[in-house]
Amino acid sequence: MKRTLGAVVLAATFTTGAMAESLNICVEGAYPPFSYTEASGEIAGFDVDITNALCAEMGNECTVLKTEWDGMIPALLEGKCDAIIASMSITPDRMEVIDFTIKYYNTPAAFIGAEGMTMEAMEAGVVGVQRGTIHQDFMEGEFPGVELRLYGSQDEAYLDLVAGRVDAIIADSVAMDDAFLQTDAGNGYAFFGETYSIPEYHGEGAGIGIRKGEEELRDAFSAAILAIRESGVYAEINARYFDFDVYGG
Amino acid sequence: MENLIAYAPLLWKGTQVTIALALVGLALATLLGALGAAGKIGGGPIARGVVFLYTTIVRGIPDLVLILLIYFGGQRIVNAIAGALDIGYVDVSKFWSGALAIGFIYGAYLTETFRGAYMTIPRGQIEAARALGLKRSAILWKVTLPQLVRFAISGYANVWQVLIKSTAVVSVISLQDLLGLANDAGKSVREPFTFFAAVFVIYLLFTFISQNIFNWAERRFTIKGRNDAA
Repeated sequence: MKRTLGAVVLAATFTTGAMAESLNICVEGAYPPFSYTEASGEIAGFDVDITNALCAEMGNECTVLKTEWDGMIPALLEGKCDAIIASMSITPDRMEVIDFTIKYYNTPAAFIGAEGMTMEAMEAGVVGVQRGTIHQDFMEGEFPGVELRLYGSQDEAYLDLVAGRVDAIIADSVAMDDAFLQTDAGNGYAFFGETYSIPEYHGEGAGIGIRKGEEELRDAFSAAILAIRESGVYAEINARYFDFDVYGG
Repeated sequence: MENLIAYAPLLWKGTQVTIALALVGLALATLLGALGAAGKIGGGPIARGVVFLYTTIVRGIPDLVLILLIYFGGQRIVNAIAGALDIGYVDVSKFWSGALAIGFIYGAYLTETFRGAYMTIPRGQIEAARALGLKRSAILWKVTLPQLVRFAISGYANVWQVLIKSTAVVSVISLQDLLGLANDAGKSVREPFTFFAAVFVIYLLFTFISQNIFNWAERRFTIKGRNDAA
């Protein structure tokens, strides 16, 4: 650990210029399954695998630097790293300070229901959704005819799904996978239908943060994201963590 | 619990960083505190002014702000200098930023601790030592310092207890200390409370052990029957 840190510092000391061959990438390490810290202290997860794939695609040497979430943007601005790949959502507030590539994922919204559930049955039934969320807006905008049951928390919706009071739930796919489908309570339940990520409802998704004025690096990352989508490398990484496409529609 | 055992070596690494940081911070603070106290007691108007500014400013700002200022602000200054000299990127160390910030902050508190302890020494003793013809250095080593240590110990122990806990704020600059690693590990295996409970116990252990050491030191340096009530 110490040795690698030393190597990183040395590498950082001897590289000059914005478009150097070797890049330092800020990752977080506390946001499973996108990035988490293993017992050895190594960082692993979807973000890290994507980082390695992108760097291989661009032909750059990359070093991942574990960085505290609160210090992430300052670390980028002061040159401690050259890019942030940490599931950072693209938001107008952040866009004022840093630049973003195109999204590299946008956890889509999805429906879950008892195994064998279909879109037709859902449209004729009752759908549970958390009150005041983007998912309620989405349902009212895209499926205006469907009867909704609103909940104060996501957990109440799961309880009512198991109790049979609702036929389906719509919410963030990763959150539901993690908090419900992967648990014992989620036995016999599964995703059905399509996944949705419409910027109007669901935001822009997570992008790679780059310092302003480094358009060349930003565009290289954006091109690499599209390239690994194209080549199937993305799908392969995706399959390690999720049983749906996390890239979103 | 199995997770806690699996991550124990990592937490041990973090504990070592925390201890190293606290000890280096304390050493720096003691040095600055001694210099500050010397300046306040024996310095001229300029030295006294500098120390006054130091203690007033440092005791007035949160340690979190100072750490961020040294780490990110320091990096900005280094970047500007490196840019002007055209020598590329030079990294400001997380550990030394943290240690420097902690030393700088607690140095201000120790300045007051040492000055207060010095003031407790009866003036008559120093006058008596001078009357005996002792040199300034001899007065310092034989008369002032032994008593200063005795009077300063409880205040010093107090500052140390606060200092060791304030090392936890360095995790904000991604220094892999006990709290930082426990936070990452706890979130990674989705058992944050187990890991925070472990941190709680380890810190409690730190303060418990150091309190015992200081209690022993206090007994060791106190002369029986004299100022042992204090």
